[in-house]
Amino acid sequence: MLMECRNLWKTYGKIIAVKDVSLKIRESEIKLIFGPSGSGKSTFLRCLAMLTTPTKGDVFLRGECLTRPDVDLNKARARIGFVFQHIWLFRHLTALGNVELGIRHVLKLPKKESRERAMQALREVGMEQWASHHPAHLSGGQQQRVGIARALAMHPDIVLLDEPTSALDPELTGEVIDTLRDLAREGITMLIVSHEMPFAREVADEMIFFDEGAIIERGSHEHFFTNPESERAKRFMARLIKRTKRE
Amino acid sequence: MDFLIKYLPLVLNGFITTAEMTLFGVLMGLMLGILLAIGDLHGGKLISTIIRFYVEFFRGSPIIIQLFIFYYTVPSLLNTRIDGLTVGFLVFTLNSAAYQKGYIKGAMETVFEDQMTAALSIGLSKAQAIIYVILPQALRLVIPPWGNEFCSLTKSTAALLVIGVRDLTSAGKTIAGQSWRILETWTFIAIIYLIWISIVMKILDIIYEKVKIPGIEISA
Repeated sequence: MLMECRNLWKTYGKIIAVKDVSLKIRESEIKLIFGPSGSGKSTFLRCLAMLTTPTKGDVFLRGECLTRPDVDLNKARARIGFVFQHIWLFRHLTALGNVELGIRHVLKLPKKESRERAMQALREVGMEQWASHHPAHLSGGQQQRVGIARALAMHPDIVLLDEPTSALDPELTGEVIDTLRDLAREGITMLIVSHEMPFAREVADEMIFFDEGAIIERGSHEHFFTNPESERAKRFMARLIKRTKRE
Repeated sequence: MDFLIKYLPLVLNGFITTAEMTLFGVLMGLMLGILLAIGDLHGGKLISTIIRFYVEFFRGSPIIIQLFIFYYTVPSLLNTRIDGLTVGFLVFTLNSAAYQKGYIKGAMETVFEDQMTAALSIGLSKAQAIIYVILPQALRLVIPPWGNEFCSLTKSTAALLVIGVRDLTSAGKTIAGQSWRILETWTFIAIIYLIWISIVMKILDIIYEKVKIPGIEISA
């Protein structure tokens, strides 16, 4: 098992953000989480990446428990790629600088090798000719591709993507989706929060419907589009299909 | 203005005192200010409270009193003597750090939230994130307030007279007293201040333009 979480909880005072979630992801698997906004999807993803400490429960990466107190969290985080909804590139660095930073200071590769590996990651997302540009001089879609390259360059075990296209203008989502499709083809393990349904049909091994901090239902793309079982999934799918038709 | 030539060495000495005191104070104050800002943000409650007291003391009392305390009170408690110039360097550093800590902390908080999370996500430690991601951005934002700090410190050096250190204004006082050419003397002194401050501000402007982060601009 590549990554696994068991009975994961995250609470803020009385508010329950993640409620008893268990999930397994195998090597090269792609799972897609979807559900209403505010349902705790992002918080769940952050718990898996150990960017937020879960209140209860365990996270395992290649069998190693990350939720034990003696774990070096920085090392663990370096093995888990994360792509943010609002991208969050380092504003003072160029595209190359963004991708290079972790290789240089976390993996501690020599300068020349770091540069080559960063360029390689930029090439994979089709951004090598923009290497010397600052984030402010890139479009949203280009920025997100750099964000993906930043995560990939660390050669992580898994990449978690938190609504990678939802902050982008509709005409810019395509290039990011194309990039993700390439990664899927390369066999990169991914857990994606997204509502891009055509993309999901293409790449997702399993879809997970999330609501009120918990997994409500799981199944294939077809399952959700033809006969979702739970009442909540039915209602959500109906809204989603209506919206897709309108678009 | 011929009479001034006689006094040029005096003016020059005063100017050097003002300039070195200010530059030293601002630079050392920057270093200390960075440490104080980090301590206040990440050092826990106790450290943050101590830092707050420190800052309130230096911002809340006149610099003349601070000079007195470090020239007379502190040495007498420690049973020693400290010369005026050293006290000047010390007080200007501590005083400037108290103000700069505020600017730096504010800038770090502006930069902090998303950039820290992004930095942690690639495996950087918190300390690495501060060094490689937070500070490089925060310090750029601090350059304009830094100019203000420099201006106000330059003009505060006159207070050094109370502990026997003569700056540019003190030199002016001496010249005006001896020559009775009050208007010319003070005009001359004022022009020196003006030129000096203009030059430094211009340099800061150039630095600011040079290191400016595309897409992030603030007005001074």
